[in-house]
Amino acid sequence: MHFDYANVLVFMALGVVLCALMMGLGALLRPSNPERAKLTTYECGEEVQGDSWINFNIRFYLVALVFVIFDVEVAFIYPVVAVFKQWVADGNGLFALTEIVLFVGILVLGLVYVWVKGDLQWIKTVVAPEDPARRSAVAGDE
Amino acid sequence: MSLINSVPEMVLTTKVDAFLNWTRKSSLWYMLFGLACCAIEMMQTGGPRADLDRFGMAPRATPRVSDLMIVAGTLTLKMALRTKVLYEQMPDPKYVLSMGSCASCGGLFQLAYSVCDGVDKIIPVDVYVPGCPPRPEALTEGLLLLQEKMMQEKWLVRSSTPATA
Amino acid sequence: MDTQAIQRKLEAAFGGVVGPVASGRVESWIEVDPDRIDEVAAMLAGDADTRFECLSNLSGVDYPAHGHIQVVYNLISYTHGHELTLKVNADRDSPEVKTLSGVWAAANWLEREVFDLLGVNFVGHPDLRRILLPDDWVGNPLRKDYVEAPDYHGISTIRESMLRIDLPVKD
Repeated sequence: MHFDYANVLVFMALGVVLCALMMGLGALLRPSNPERAKLTTYECGEEVQGDSWINFNIRFYLVALVFVIFDVEVAFIYPVVAVFKQWVADGNGLFALTEIVLFVGILVLGLVYVWVKGDLQWIKTVVAPEDPARRSAVAGDE
Repeated sequence: MSLINSVPEMVLTTKVDAFLNWTRKSSLWYMLFGLACCAIEMMQTGGPRADLDRFGMAPRATPRVSDLMIVAGTLTLKMALRTKVLYEQMPDPKYVLSMGSCASCGGLFQLAYSVCDGVDKIIPVDVYVPGCPPRPEALTEGLLLLQEKMMQEKWLVRSSTPATA
Repeated sequence: MDTQAIQRKLEAAFGGVVGPVASGRVESWIEVDPDRIDEVAAMLAGDADTRFECLSNLSGVDYPAHGHIQVVYNLISYTHGHELTLKVNADRDSPEVKTLSGVWAAANWLEREVFDLLGVNFVGHPDLRRILLPDDWVGNPLRKDYVEAPDYHGISTIRESMLRIDLPVKD
């Protein structure tokens, strides 16, 4: 039967039980004094000013997105590689090759697009806008 | 849900209490609250020669993860308000060590208009270490004294004077 | 240029605004009117013969017996190597002195300190507010007639003095 997977089950169970044990023991043994002052936001002792939500730079999102797309592409290529030899032996080698080349080709088009748009550059230069009405909005940013 | 101050006093439970106190005193993370010259001696006490890390004491910058607040230096009235906020933001169980004469009683600057005469005017202090500044050996002795005090505390065992604030 | 020469130059340019060279035990100084100090300073900083690029120190002294608060300026010239001390006497009841933050950038914070501790109003200062004491502090501690408040935000400032010396402590 599938007793190999019992290993995984034991490890999962052990992980859950150990964590629960540690945290449960801690909750039993530690003092709990939630006071209003204790639950305030830490700002080096000062009064909290402003919001803690900040705007993240869009570069992080773009890099992550590009990475995910090409990582998934590589993940899709692995099964093709696994059966490629068998397909060549069956005489369908050219078909398989064309299909995988088309697949990679479409994604390379996407890569070229991202490249040209400058999303692969980490350091981006700021171009001052020509419109004076927009210029004041940009100056207030950051 | 918590077992604090609820267990009857027997040999086993006092041993558990002693064990818990031992775990706490062996891993006393202190908040670096260096305000003036005593801070330099505190840094050196944490340094390689008079090592504090051998007692398990690690310096922390934020009150959120520290057990002990070493107030090292002169406390001005301007800083006193912030010190109180930082003390309140430390999670229990927390301890305060007043290092040097300025933190204990205002020290040299007792008569100044801007100095708060002693940190115990705003927060409860466990150990006072006199000196101007106290040598690393003196601060270490103060910390060992604090460890002895921690070993006497009763957390789980039911007592009329529980350790909880 | 020595102080006498500088004083002659200033007197030629400004007339009665600038006083004669006064000598103390250690150094000599020139007294200037408080509402013309900025012009005098601008001339001292810009003129090729004097060239005082550096405002080394700006401090205030309270003289209640004389009825004025004195602001002392120490100037240093790197090009010529000479130094100068200027003194300005402002009326104690409402001390007003022209600001020098336009001439030397260092004057900005130094004047804030004198404002904080002595209460001197520097006319034309871009950002005159307390710098050392908390923003809600009442009074100017370095004045000789300063009386401490009994507490600050609930923290008592009354000292239980253990000293057996007759010092003026509160109660």
